[in-house]
Amino acid sequence: MTAKQQELLSAFVDGELNQQELDELLSLMDSDENARADFLSYQFSSDVLRGYTSRSEPIDLSNRISAALESEPAHQSAKAAGEKARVLKLPDWFWKQTAGLAAAASIGALAVVGVIDQPQNSVTPELAQAQPQPQVIQQQPNVAASNRWTVGEREVEDRLNNYLVDHNEYAGASGLFSYARVVSYGEE
Amino acid sequence: MRFLLHLFLAMALALPAASYAADDEKAIQILERMTEAAKNLTYEGVFAYQSGKNLQSIRIYHRADARGELERLISLNGAAREVIRSNDMVTCINPEGKQVNVSRRPLGRGFPSDLPRRLSSATPFYDVKLGDTDRIAGRKAYELNITPVDDYRYGYRLWVDTQTYLLLKSELLGTDGDVLETFAFSSINTDVHIPDHKLRSQMAGEEMTWHRSEPEEPINTATSSQQSRWQTGWLPDGFAQVAYQTRLRASNGADVEQRVYSDGLSSVSVFIERIRARHNHLHGGSHVGAINAFGTIMHAHFVTVVGEVPADTVKKIGNQISFSDTP
Repeated sequence: MTAKQQELLSAFVDGELNQQELDELLSLMDSDENARADFLSYQFSSDVLRGYTSRSEPIDLSNRISAALESEPAHQSAKAAGEKARVLKLPDWFWKQTAGLAAAASIGALAVVGVIDQPQNSVTPELAQAQPQPQVIQQQPNVAASNRWTVGEREVEDRLNNYLVDHNEYAGASGLFSYARVVSYGEE
Repeated sequence: MRFLLHLFLAMALALPAASYAADDEKAIQILERMTEAAKNLTYEGVFAYQSGKNLQSIRIYHRADARGELERLISLNGAAREVIRSNDMVTCINPEGKQVNVSRRPLGRGFPSDLPRRLSSATPFYDVKLGDTDRIAGRKAYELNITPVDDYRYGYRLWVDTQTYLLLKSELLGTDGDVLETFAFSSINTDVHIPDHKLRSQMAGEEMTWHRSEPEEPINTATSSQQSRWQTGWLPDGFAQVAYQTRLRASNGADVEQRVYSDGLSSVSVFIERIRARHNHLHGGSHVGAINAFGTIMHAHFVTVVGEVPADTVKKIGNQISFSDTP
C-alpha cells in the first residue's frame, strides 16, 4: 500500500474525504484485497482507540445496520440521487467482512458522513443516534495519556511489548530509567 | 582609533559568546559523565515514573563490577512486574499473566548504550544548556535543558547529581513544551553493596510460562541480501543506523529484524517481522507513555517503527519504508 493510499485511508477514517477521493478509495478497496484488509484492521484499531469497542469479542451488528440503512428515509432519498447512492451502496465484501461492532460502527460513520457531505439535502442523521455515536474525531490520541498500547488484540499488544523491550535497549536520554516503561506497563 | 573601536566591539561581542560556549561545553561534558555513571556505579533507589495521569513507583538495583552489570527493576504498585538485565539477557516477569519473557542479546555487548560515542553527533540537532543547580532526592543536581532544533524529536530536562553524575530526574518534553514523562528518584543510595539475592526475582519460576527469543547465528550472505532489500526512505536529519540485529522468537518461530537509528540522544527502532500465519497487526499509530509506534503490513511482513519521538516522526519513517523487489 502506498503512502498516498494510506493517507487516503487515514483521511477517510477522519471523515475528511471529498467525493472524488471517496470514489477513489472505494474503487481501490474494491480492486485491492490488501487495501481492504488494511482498511478493516485500521478501522478496528481506530475504533478501539476511540472506545467504541472492547477487544476480543465483537458483536455482529452489520445486519442490523444494513436493515436500519434500508428503512432510513435519508437512505431512500439518497438512493434517488446517483452520487449519494454510490456512497451508501456499500460493496458486497463490505457486508461480508463486517463481522465486528467496530467495522459496523465505521459503516454507520461512512453512511452518515457520506450523506452529510452532499450539498443539497436535509438529512437528519437518525442513523447516528441508533448506532454508537460515530463522531468524526481526530485519530491522534493525546500523547502520554495511556500506559498501554491502544490496540485491539492481545496478540498485537504482546508483539508491540516485545518490540518495546527490544527498543528500550537503545532508548536514549532516559537512560537508566527507560525500563520503567516496561515494569509499569498496563498499570492504572 | 577606528581599529581600537573595532577591537573593543569584537571583544565585547566575543566575550559573552565565549562564556555561553563554555557553559554548553560543560553541559555536554556532564551529559557524557552521566552516561558513564549509569553504567559504572552501583546504586539502589526508588523512583517515580509519571506519564499522563499514571504514576508508578519503581525500585531499582544496579550493580556494576568486574563481572559486568546487573540490574533489577520492580514495580511497587499493582502487579509486581520485574525486569532483570544482565550482560547478555533481559528478563521480563509479569506475575499477573504468569509469563516470563527472556530476550537474549548477541554475546559480549554489555548494556548496549553507545550514547557517549554518539553524543557529539547530537549537538547540531539539540541546543544543550546548563541551567541552575537544584536539589533532587536530597542531592545537589545540575539541570540540563536540551531543546531540539525541529519537531521530529522531543526535548529533555535532566537533573544530574553534582557528586556522582548519576541521572536523578528526567523530563521528556513534547513539541509544545508539555511534560510527557517524568522519571525522578525519591531516594537513592550510591554507596552501597548489593548482594546477589536482591538481584534475583523472588517469583517462583515453576508455574510461569517462559518465552525466549534468541539472537540468530551470524548472518549468512543469502539472508543479508534479503534484508538489504528493505530501505528506509526518510529519517529525521542526523539520524543514522547505530545497531542491527535479528532475533528468533521461540514462542512463534518468527524472525524479527531490528534496526536502530539514533541522532545521539533520541532513537527509533524499525522492526521487520515475517508473517508466519494469518495474524493482525497495528495499522497506524499507537503509544505507551512517550513511546510512539507506527505499524503497517508490507510484502507479507509486519513493519513497525517504535521510538521515543513524536507520533509524526514514526509515521513519516514508517510510510517511507520500502521493499525492493529486485535485490
